[in-house]
Amino acid sequence: MSLEVAIVVEDAVEYSFAMEYHGPPITRELPRAVPINVDRIPVASVVSPLPFPDSLSLPVVQPISAADIIGKKLIKDLKLSSSSAELLTVSPTSVIAFESQNNEVSEGSYSKELGLGTETSVSPSSVINASVESETENRSSNDICALSGELSSDFECCNRDDVLSGVNERGYSSISHDEFVGGVGSSGVLESSDSFEKSMEFSGSLRKSRLSGAYKETLDFNESNRTDWESNESVLSVDYLSSRVSSRKFGDGNQDSGGGDVRRAPVVTFCDIESDDENVDDDYSRSEPEVVRMKKEPAAKVRKGACYRCLKGNRFTEKEVCMVCDAKYCNNCVLRAMGSMPEGRKCVTCIGYPISELKRASLGKCSRMLKRLLNDLEVKQIMKAEKFCEVNQLPPEYISVNGRPLYHDELVMLQSCSNPPKKLKPGNYWYDKVSGLWGKVGQKPLQIITPHLNVGGPVKANASNGNTQVYINGREITKVELRMLKLAGVQCAGNPHFWVNEDGSYQEEGQKNTKGFIWGKAGTKLLCAVLSLPVPSKSSDLCGEQISSSISRSMPDYLEQRVIQKLLLIGYSGSGTSTIFKQARILYKDIPFSEDEREHITLVIQSHVYNYIGILLEGRERFEEESLHELRQHQSCDGPDGDVDGNGEETPYSIGPRLKAFSDWLLKIMASGTLEAIFPAACREYAPLVEELCSSVAFKATYKRRHELESLPSISSYFLEQAVEILKPDYKPSDLDILYAEHVTSSNGLACVDFSFPEPVYDGDDSGDLHDSLLRYQLIRLQAKGFGENCKWLEMLEDVRVVIFCVSLSDYDQFALDGDGNRVNKMMLSKKFFENMVTHPTFDQMEFLLLLNKLDSFEEKIEQVPLTKCEWFDDFHPVISRNRSNSNNSNHPTLGQLGFHYVAVKFKRLFAALTGRKLYASAVKALDPTSVDTALKYAREVLSWDEERPNVSLSEYSIYSTEASSFSH
Amino acid sequence: MSVAELKERHMAAAETVNSLKERLKQRRLLLLDTDVAGYARSQGQTRVSFGPTDLVCCRTLQGHTGKVYSLDWTPERNRIVSASQDGRLIVWNALTSQKTHAIKLPCAWVMTCAFSPSGQSVACGGLDSMCSIFNLNSQTDKDGNLPVSRMLSGHKGYVSSCQYVPDEDTHLITASGDQTCVLWDITTGLRTSVFGGEFQSGHTADVLSVSINESNSRMFISGSCDSTVRLWDTRVASRAVRTFHGHEGDVNAVKFFPDGHRFGTGSDDGTCRLFDIRTGHQLQEYNQQHDDNEAPHVTSIAFSTSGRLLFAGYTNGDCYVWDTLLAEVVLDLGKLQNSHDSRISCLGLSADGSALCTGSWDSNLKIWAFGGHRRVN
Repeated sequence: MSLEVAIVVEDAVEYSFAMEYHGPPITRELPRAVPINVDRIPVASVVSPLPFPDSLSLPVVQPISAADIIGKKLIKDLKLSSSSAELLTVSPTSVIAFESQNNEVSEGSYSKELGLGTETSVSPSSVINASVESETENRSSNDICALSGELSSDFECCNRDDVLSGVNERGYSSISHDEFVGGVGSSGVLESSDSFEKSMEFSGSLRKSRLSGAYKETLDFNESNRTDWESNESVLSVDYLSSRVSSRKFGDGNQDSGGGDVRRAPVVTFCDIESDDENVDDDYSRSEPEVVRMKKEPAAKVRKGACYRCLKGNRFTEKEVCMVCDAKYCNNCVLRAMGSMPEGRKCVTCIGYPISELKRASLGKCSRMLKRLLNDLEVKQIMKAEKFCEVNQLPPEYISVNGRPLYHDELVMLQSCSNPPKKLKPGNYWYDKVSGLWGKVGQKPLQIITPHLNVGGPVKANASNGNTQVYINGREITKVELRMLKLAGVQCAGNPHFWVNEDGSYQEEGQKNTKGFIWGKAGTKLLCAVLSLPVPSKSSDLCGEQISSSISRSMPDYLEQRVIQKLLLIGYSGSGTSTIFKQARILYKDIPFSEDEREHITLVIQSHVYNYIGILLEGRERFEEESLHELRQHQSCDGPDGDVDGNGEETPYSIGPRLKAFSDWLLKIMASGTLEAIFPAACREYAPLVEELCSSVAFKATYKRRHELESLPSISSYFLEQAVEILKPDYKPSDLDILYAEHVTSSNGLACVDFSFPEPVYDGDDSGDLHDSLLRYQLIRLQAKGFGENCKWLEMLEDVRVVIFCVSLSDYDQFALDGDGNRVNKMMLSKKFFENMVTHPTFDQMEFLLLLNKLDSFEEKIEQVPLTKCEWFDDFHPVISRNRSNSNNSNHPTLGQLGFHYVAVKFKRLFAALTGRKLYASAVKALDPTSVDTALKYAREVLSWDEERPNVSLSEYSIYSTEASSFSH
Repeated sequence: MSVAELKERHMAAAETVNSLKERLKQRRLLLLDTDVAGYARSQGQTRVSFGPTDLVCCRTLQGHTGKVYSLDWTPERNRIVSASQDGRLIVWNALTSQKTHAIKLPCAWVMTCAFSPSGQSVACGGLDSMCSIFNLNSQTDKDGNLPVSRMLSGHKGYVSSCQYVPDEDTHLITASGDQTCVLWDITTGLRTSVFGGEFQSGHTADVLSVSINESNSRMFISGSCDSTVRLWDTRVASRAVRTFHGHEGDVNAVKFFPDGHRFGTGSDDGTCRLFDIRTGHQLQEYNQQHDDNEAPHVTSIAFSTSGRLLFAGYTNGDCYVWDTLLAEVVLDLGKLQNSHDSRISCLGLSADGSALCTGSWDSNLKIWAFGGHRRVN
């Protein structure tokens, strides 16, 4: 009981404040507060079920301060308690009674609780000061700890309410709406002022009689408060018209009855909502952090107006306010109390908590004090952090569209669409998906946003509270809209139902033909401006592709972090990772390669071609010698006569002296290894020579025998065919050239590309696709060369979602030198590397996708070289049908397909043996765009399977969505 | 000569090298009659003692969202640059604990960062094998990002460490995973010299850290995964001046002693060591015995201005303050109030020696300094 007593006393204090406020300044401001209560109050009753044993401990802190005050001032009055308890019940009910006529009796008890709740939350600021000196603190706090869960739960509610301002769904649809709009409902304001006066009288008189003692004590505070409050009011009322905001503001350090009253209303509202939801668990868990946070506020027991840290100063000293808990700090303390402000102006202890919704408007608006304390750069960084950090973003559940609070991805979609709602604030909105009309519930449209966004529920007929019986896309339109329609020349007789598309074309329900375009006439737009109705913005004409690219550009950092999925692409050198990487850039990027890169690539390709030519020329010399030798042998067999034309002996491989000189020069350059150094000068100088060379018979003959030249890469034929073109100084490589070229990726180590899969063709209301288009991927390519024995830095890649391991199928008969200089089959090297990666601690539990690359050349090669050439594949004994010619047409798989499946199974078994998990595998032809696209989409599938697995619900993203869904019940 | 014959000779040579190394080791052991700690004790030195307020965490720099990998102080003003896995470099004002620049990097996998001696620019390097220079005074682009003012490309492996040559804004030494160190001329963006690599006297594994001698900026040391430290003269790129053996694991951190005649190392074997560059001998080993067999690795080290204290960060979140003379741990920052939650990845002392900054995988940096009130007599 003692607790209750204390609280009661508190209540009394508040009321006494109210008396104080009777002064002229208050009346003007206060009326706004009241509207909040109207329907919500009954809901308060729901609060009582809330008590949880667990919640007990958390909220306690605040009450302490309240209690302290009480303890100090009102210990003498303790005996009063029993009687004052009744008082307490009276006051809240009285408010309720005035505001909502259908007040139920049963509320009595609940309202009492409510009262407690409000008082405790409000009081700290004023109370705390008083209590600073008091020794009774501890005692009273103990008392409070003993408080029932009821109190604490109430407490949570009010705290939350402060933070939330406009909570969700039904609860606030009517009320909070008004608040946010500002002075929207004029009638509401009037009413409220009435009720407020009454309640004030009521409570005031009641209080006075009993609590004069406390009252006197608080007098001095009130005076100071009032001045503070007035100043606040004037400033604030400009920014936000809602009464609640202002009340919240002065709740910081000043207290008065006005504040008390105003506050109570929101509290009630909130409880109402929660109870309606009957979603107690969720509610509790959600409110918990806030409770913790609020706890901090009273922890600094501060005299009103003083700094929360040094406890010095008065209300006139300039202070910075924490965006979360409202603590105020003077300029000596603000840097200490707020630290490095990674999320803007928040106490160090408040970091990570969402900001008070009432302060949202001041996000990113710097105070003079900070500007004085810090230099421009620092202030800029703080404000940037404040505006863009993730916790400070609008919580999706505060925005309800068509009667349903949004999920996180819906909000993202809404904000990142090409034509997003302007200045989105918490509130209740309606959205007409067909036409893109957007407005606040109960009002005419505000704006036309991007249509067809899959957010919220279907639009309701009464969404804009129209009474014209004319419908647009199922929504009854308002009078203003109807007027506009009429003036725009739309036939509205007979209460028609219209379908309006985003381009303004409209048709009557049930009819096929378009009747016209609403915004087609120039006059209509002017008219709309006069009637303050929205017109479609130009950007809505954008086609789908542009929209998707704008998404990628406007994506803020915090979102990027969340939605980006990292795919790591690795493979032994020569496995084609770079081709896949280049292919991905060409596939998904508008500009796959920048000008600089292209310039660099041009040089690389040209030097490659010179290199190939050099190899051919080397081969030519060999062939020439061989054929000369042959010729001589032949001639010697023929007899001495043959020697006669020995000087002029010609083989198909001979070249003229000029070309010979060039050939010698080139071979010399190549031998010295300075081929790169001669560029780009060589291109200009030698292009004609090369042209001549290429057309020479000898060169062509050598080219025909290129398969005999081992050092000539197979890809060279692609470039040699067009060597003349390439070696012209104005050569610009095509995407295909780049794709085919080797060693053109500029970076030695890691390269990455961000992309998103292009939006699939829009087909109906498939929401999954829209969601997917928001997901962004980052393909990271690492060169195998960088992987040492113990690559410590692989731990940097721990946030990768899938490792795509690339193996070149055609490697099975290739050999390379390993670290010890031994000649080892390249497939075995790949296998070794694969084992290393799979067992690396960083990739523990990581999904692996095996891409078996170069399927095309594998299919060719396997016909000639048996797969068993690689010792790992020695048990490959395919059953091959006799009639090979028909194999493509019939169901018989080709040898290449058999080989691929065999290799895939080999790797899968290896993977399973190493990790006990499943390896995903796919074949790919890196030079074929669709094949790479399919492979990367397969990686996306792997990711989504991964997400669907229940044990992965720990990932941040899915937690978020589950939370949101449970909340929306 | 046939391949087999060559192989044989190679084997024999390798054997000879090993036996010579072993003999060298034995010889060194013979010569070493004492270590620093033993001598200091015999001279009656007493350990440094720390009062409760002598070293406290007085600032926490919050703002990174990923593991902090590296930090560096400006030589003059109280600014710090830090690099983190969130792909950002942040320049901090250590006094106000505010950020002055947040630089979004083109490649998020950054491993090292450094402040130029003039404080006008910062350098960073990472898995992209480049060293990027940002001029802090240049204009930001339309997205608010600072443009790269110079890319130093040429390494064939990740850039693990970089440091500006003292008093020269135009020269920088990087260490890389391609087993080399490179001295760069920033104005031209070209390599002035390459240390190691194809040369036999170079490191035989990834180089993880460099430290330039403050008193003689021609000399620098590099620590590597081959568990050796090498001393280089920038005028002689062809071979290392000296190679220091001793560690039994990757050398993660090297740091010159303030007098420039010695240097400290930190390694995966869990020890820190002090070497003398003139004699080539190991002077002291700093090793804290752990109950479990797995000793935490040393990630980063720093000396106090006098050299009496050695700060060493460990993978388990400890940060020991060693008395370099007595080889005793006099303080563990990891056990103090407000300590880091995770591995200490980097640490550095401010130029005037008044503050220590530690960076951790918990994404915070903390500044440690004298936190009490000085008694005025």
